[in-house]
Amino acid sequence: MNLFLNPFVLYSLVALGAVGVSLALPRRGVNPQVLGGIIAGTAAGLVILMLGVRAVGDGAGLVNPFFYVFGIAAIASGLRMVTHPKPVYAALYFTLTILATAGLFLILASEFMAFALVIVYAGAILITYLFVIMLASQSGKESAEEGLAAYDTESREPVISTVACFVLLAALLTLTFRGVKEMGPGANIAQSAAVIDRLPGKAERALIDAGVIASGDKVEVFSGKSQVANVRKADGTVVEVSAASAGSKWPKSLEVENVEGLGFTLLKDHPGIIEIAGVVLLMAMLGAVVLSRKQVQFDEDQKVAQSRRLREETARL
Amino acid sequence: MAIGDMMMMGSGLMGSVLAQAAPPAAMSDVHLAHYLFVACVMFVIGLIGFLTRRNLIIMFLCTDLMFQAAGVALIAFSRYHLNHTGETFTIVLITVAAAEAAMALALVVLLFRKKESLDAEEWTELKG
Repeated sequence: MNLFLNPFVLYSLVALGAVGVSLALPRRGVNPQVLGGIIAGTAAGLVILMLGVRAVGDGAGLVNPFFYVFGIAAIASGLRMVTHPKPVYAALYFTLTILATAGLFLILASEFMAFALVIVYAGAILITYLFVIMLASQSGKESAEEGLAAYDTESREPVISTVACFVLLAALLTLTFRGVKEMGPGANIAQSAAVIDRLPGKAERALIDAGVIASGDKVEVFSGKSQVANVRKADGTVVEVSAASAGSKWPKSLEVENVEGLGFTLLKDHPGIIEIAGVVLLMAMLGAVVLSRKQVQFDEDQKVAQSRRLREETARL
Repeated sequence: MAIGDMMMMGSGLMGSVLAQAAPPAAMSDVHLAHYLFVACVMFVIGLIGFLTRRNLIIMFLCTDLMFQAAGVALIAFSRYHLNHTGETFTIVLITVAAAEAAMALALVVLLFRKKESLDAEEWTELKG
């Protein structure tokens, strides 16, 4: 088995992380949360450090330095969210996790999803969570210590579930650290060229902005691969413009950007997803309304009166 | 070389801000493993939280943490394969997460009205 890290070291660090997390979970009495957090953080940090050393050793170079900031922030605030006894603080730490995840998405060249994540999660979902927390935390049954409910200060089976989950983590990391060599990277250039061939308007705008063609000209056919455009001039003649003929005036920004590529893939390759997402959201909205509606109970007299009134109104009509 | 590579790998952040970087270079296996490590750890932390915490709201927050972890893995694979399919699935993931949050919170409000408590163990009679 050829892992990125020495299996013995990796599994020791996973075990160390398990000890740290199980210490960090809230419990009654002696509560070494800070110590547990430090131990778990050390284990995660050591794994990331060893991965970095391995990456440099392989000649791949370090990952983007922002990865370390966002990745460590995501893991640390996720751990704090799980271990914090107060629900409001847990929700706020979850916001921090979302922002760190959005940062990771940005590093991964996926800026649309990063902003969508911030808008949908931090903007909408988290506000709903905070509302419900505020609504539901007016419970009268509070323990004496710090005004927290008993179910918040004590976790259920911390050791057993931590062990079980870290066995899962060890298995996941074993598979992950084997590498995915059989799945080679795709051909981005060819794909991006294929997308831009279907967007002659974008090519036209870029060519006009770069001054290669005049502003009344229309790009009829564009080939991103061979960098050639068939342009219909304002007087009706068709000329061929290419990167070779335009020289240094040829625009450099003819790459398909993230939002364009994502929209193209979404609408061309997976058009059903939008329909399904719409149905899922509609059903969720209906379900939420039905669930949280207060049941209004009519007694028999009211029902009889209501039906009589309805009958009279239909008779009048 | 290291700085150049870091700039290439950072073409998402640097490139989108400066808007004229080279197209993203291929991502090596070790770099993919970095992101998958973060995703795995976030997923497992969320799972631990779901199993151990007794507050219903925090349990659902933990499922959202697991959704986030899946999103990181999908986007990392999308970047690794240099196509947009992973991002497309992340849109579905965010939709499902939003639907789940709405349903879950409606359920929590309903349950809270019945028992005036957010303790999951108040509902152990549901196991039959």
